[in-house]
Amino acid sequence: MSVALRTDREGGHATLVPTGSFDLSHATEVTQAVSDAEASLNGCRSVDVDLTQLDRIDGAGAVLLARLLDRLEADGRQASVKGDNPEATRLIALYRERRTILPAPQIRTTNPLTRIGAVVAQLPGKANDAFDFIGRCAVAIPKAAVTPRSVDWRSLPSLMQEIGADALPVTSAANLVVGIIIGLLGISELGRFGANSYVPELVVVAHFRELGPLVTAIVVAGRSGAGLASKMATMKVSEEIDALRSMGFDPVRWLVLPRCLALAVTVPLLTWVGDLLALVGGLVATVVMTDMTPHAYMEGTLKAITASNLLTGLIKAPFLALAIGLIACGQGLLTRGGAAAVGARTTTAVVLAIFSTIVISALFTLFFALMGA
Amino acid sequence: MPSRPHITVDDLRIGYGTRVLMEHTTFQVERGTIFAILGGSGCGKSSLLRHLIGLERQQAGRIDIDGVGEPSQYEGVPPFGVLFQSGALFSSLTLAENLWLPLNRWTPMRGATAHELVQAKLDLVGLGAFAEYLPGEISGGMKKRAGVARALVLEADLLFFDEPSAGLDPISAVELDQLIITLSRDLGITVVIVTHELPSIFLVADNCIVLDKAAKGIVAQGDPRKLRDESEIPFVHAFFTRSSYDVTANPGG
Repeated sequence: MSVALRTDREGGHATLVPTGSFDLSHATEVTQAVSDAEASLNGCRSVDVDLTQLDRIDGAGAVLLARLLDRLEADGRQASVKGDNPEATRLIALYRERRTILPAPQIRTTNPLTRIGAVVAQLPGKANDAFDFIGRCAVAIPKAAVTPRSVDWRSLPSLMQEIGADALPVTSAANLVVGIIIGLLGISELGRFGANSYVPELVVVAHFRELGPLVTAIVVAGRSGAGLASKMATMKVSEEIDALRSMGFDPVRWLVLPRCLALAVTVPLLTWVGDLLALVGGLVATVVMTDMTPHAYMEGTLKAITASNLLTGLIKAPFLALAIGLIACGQGLLTRGGAAAVGARTTTAVVLAIFSTIVISALFTLFFALMGA
Repeated sequence: MPSRPHITVDDLRIGYGTRVLMEHTTFQVERGTIFAILGGSGCGKSSLLRHLIGLERQQAGRIDIDGVGEPSQYEGVPPFGVLFQSGALFSSLTLAENLWLPLNRWTPMRGATAHELVQAKLDLVGLGAFAEYLPGEISGGMKKRAGVARALVLEADLLFFDEPSAGLDPISAVELDQLIITLSRDLGITVVIVTHELPSIFLVADNCIVLDKAAKGIVAQGDPRKLRDESEIPFVHAFFTRSSYDVTANPGG
């Protein structure tokens, strides 16, 4: 059914006559008809809308006619409806009387410098939040020692299982592959100088000191860190954290400490297992790609494994684990809003945790280099 | 001549697996009226609603919505709107975007016209100034009203409300009831409400059915005020007068 809005003019007065279906399914045509009719009203001081010939009207059609009348009145014209159509008259009146006059929308600036400034201006607040959380965690440790019942120790075994043991396959696989990569890289570069016998030492030094803890921490941050952050964020938005507080629990002691402890215990173990698998990866790559025997490779490896190489890597692991735990739990506890906020906080937590593990690892390397270790 | 009922439910049986929640359920909802589905917790009110809006398929019997047929078989522009108990607004979208979503899916409207329609619906429920707010930034009562606006945006002439007053303070609950009355009286919309809030029932409902868990179906139907004053069925009397009722003594309701 066609839609039209006819204009009948008599001097300074005009009558608009809508015909057809003014409804949602014809809203685009109605909009066009209203726009055309409005353009033809130049010079009119008063406008009537005659609803007699309307075949059908619903809320959408009524809104479009109501807004037309509003605009005409805003232009200083007299505007009214007439005709024997009580349903249409009632609908138009309803949408006119319930209209909210909104203030002009604020234009958001898109100036890059302003946006950079806005981000920088938020940094002190964010840093304050982070230090506040670290401080609360630090205070929680002696308090937990004094009142052990304020910590959820019962959850510790299941957390270690969830965070550590369940992550073992994926961290092991990642370390094995990295061991193979280091082995192949060593063969490619050292082989040019006939120095393939140094490949086992390269694998040990590179993996034990740097890549083992780092790869393990990155995988744990992506897997367990995301899980921790989303769990804590969900607890926050569903008011479980508030419920804990209302019952006199400190969420940091009850929830954060066991999770950080579980990470601090399991990540070094995962790193150690990962180191062994990286050696296997290096061995497989070297034996397959060169004429070195497994026995020769093992001998080279055993010579390279020193206390310094082993401990410089393993010392890092608990610190990387703590960083992951604190960031994941801290971001989770900062969540505000609904389900969308959980996803956003989890993403932030994983990104921050991975970045932090890299930075902390680099700082340790710098420290050991300065100490000559 | 009386108009055809908006909803016809005939000898309906619903349940999950071998568990039957309701059987031999027959009722009609007249066009333009406010119809309440009442009953205590666990009697199957919300399950019946889920069947009426086509989210579940009945085990037996017939549900017919005028112009739609069997709701679970229907495809196309939704012919009815639903206000879920929590409001069910998408938390990552602003109120305006929540309303724009079905409009964008089912109509060719874009730009200023779509904006005008969305704003008008928000104005209608008194949330015109909150179009750019996220659901997390508004109160529970406002979320419900925004849910109503979203249910209205496709100009459906039938609305379903699941526990609209649940979790609201008395003033917000009355405001929502007034909105429901406005929708029915001024827009001619048929409204089906699932509730157990007595003040709301007596204020808004033209007609109702009372469900009982033990009877697995309807134990009374009619004007809720008349049922309150005249019904001699113990469960119905107890329900409307909030008096105690011994289920074990009256297993059939």
